[in-house]
Amino acid sequence: MTTALTSHPEPAMRRSRVNPKVLVGGLVVALPLLAVLVANLGRDPHSVRSPLIGRPAPAFSLVPVGGGAPVSLEKLSGKPVVINFWATWCVPCFEEHAALTAAARGLPDVQFLGVVYEDEEARTQEFLRQRPSAYPSLIDPEGKSAIAYGVFGVPETFFIDGSGRIVDKYVGPMTRSTIAALVGRAKEGAR
Amino acid sequence: MTPVAFALASILVLASAAQEVSPSAAPAAGIGAPKGLQLSGPELDKRTDDIGALLRCPVCQGLSVSDSPATMARNMKAEVREKLAKGYDQEQILAYFERSYGEFVRLQPPMRGVNWLVWFGPVAALIAGGAVIAWAMKRSPREPAGGGRQGGFAVPPASDLPSRDSVPTDPKLAAAVRRVRMLAYGWPQGVSPKAGS
Repeated sequence: MTTALTSHPEPAMRRSRVNPKVLVGGLVVALPLLAVLVANLGRDPHSVRSPLIGRPAPAFSLVPVGGGAPVSLEKLSGKPVVINFWATWCVPCFEEHAALTAAARGLPDVQFLGVVYEDEEARTQEFLRQRPSAYPSLIDPEGKSAIAYGVFGVPETFFIDGSGRIVDKYVGPMTRSTIAALVGRAKEGAR
Repeated sequence: MTPVAFALASILVLASAAQEVSPSAAPAAGIGAPKGLQLSGPELDKRTDDIGALLRCPVCQGLSVSDSPATMARNMKAEVREKLAKGYDQEQILAYFERSYGEFVRLQPPMRGVNWLVWFGPVAALIAGGAVIAWAMKRSPREPAGGGRQGGFAVPPASDLPSRDSVPTDPKLAAAVRRVRMLAYGWPQGVSPKAGS
């Protein structure tokens, strides 16, 4: 800053001379990075699109809570299936339970299934005794089905069409209208 | 039997029980027939840990399945162990998890497509940076003081630069400069001792 204090005229360096090559090179590197940053600003880094969408649903044969004959996916083919992964310790699951039960009662042509995720059978049984469900919930030993379906947490719900293909996956609690819209897509997929 | 061995044994027993309940889960979907050797004993433990270290625990923040204490990670590790015991090789097991969780589940991105950028981008950037520096140094060799261009900036000849003894013409500024010199250099009244001599 001594130049400002002296009587000497400002040297040429004060008038910034931008090297166009450096500017273009910098922009070429910086702009794509900036674009990636801006494009992903609002995105949850944990929300990964399921690679299973559009593919056949992983098969399973699981025993319902409280015992009984195993329920297997193959035996349900021909009918759209809604598989809801849930747990009693999951508050959003509790919120969505009523919507799912109501939807299952209103859509008899769709098979709703619950799969219990990382929970004890006794607690699940108690939960279902207090809040009866309109569809079976299945015990998933060692979370094998949760892994096969690529479950990250609960609630997560898979919509399967009549041919056994996963049409969509919904992460988080659903309302009746969400369920209806996604079931509609599963029904379309069956045609 | 140590507690660890007991835990592992019970995992195996549970795993086999689970298969009896769900026979449809037995042939692992989409990864074909086992390509490796059926492992057991310490080798099985070691390979389970190795492969667990390559898998991301989906419910954790940047932890591998081997490092995470989460139930999900334990379940995934049991699945890895079971598949190794059946003779599936590392790539088949990673592919099994990738089918359900996507490439996200691999902690080491496979060398394909844009992933080449992840593997070799930093090295390429380092080489490119070195090249730019080398080019810039070659283009503007350090010139002796006295003008010309240095590092891309135009430097006026030394004769144009104000000497440390000169002061601005503005009397107020001149007083300020002298005061700064007095404080900074300890020159009496801000005048260089050499100036008078």
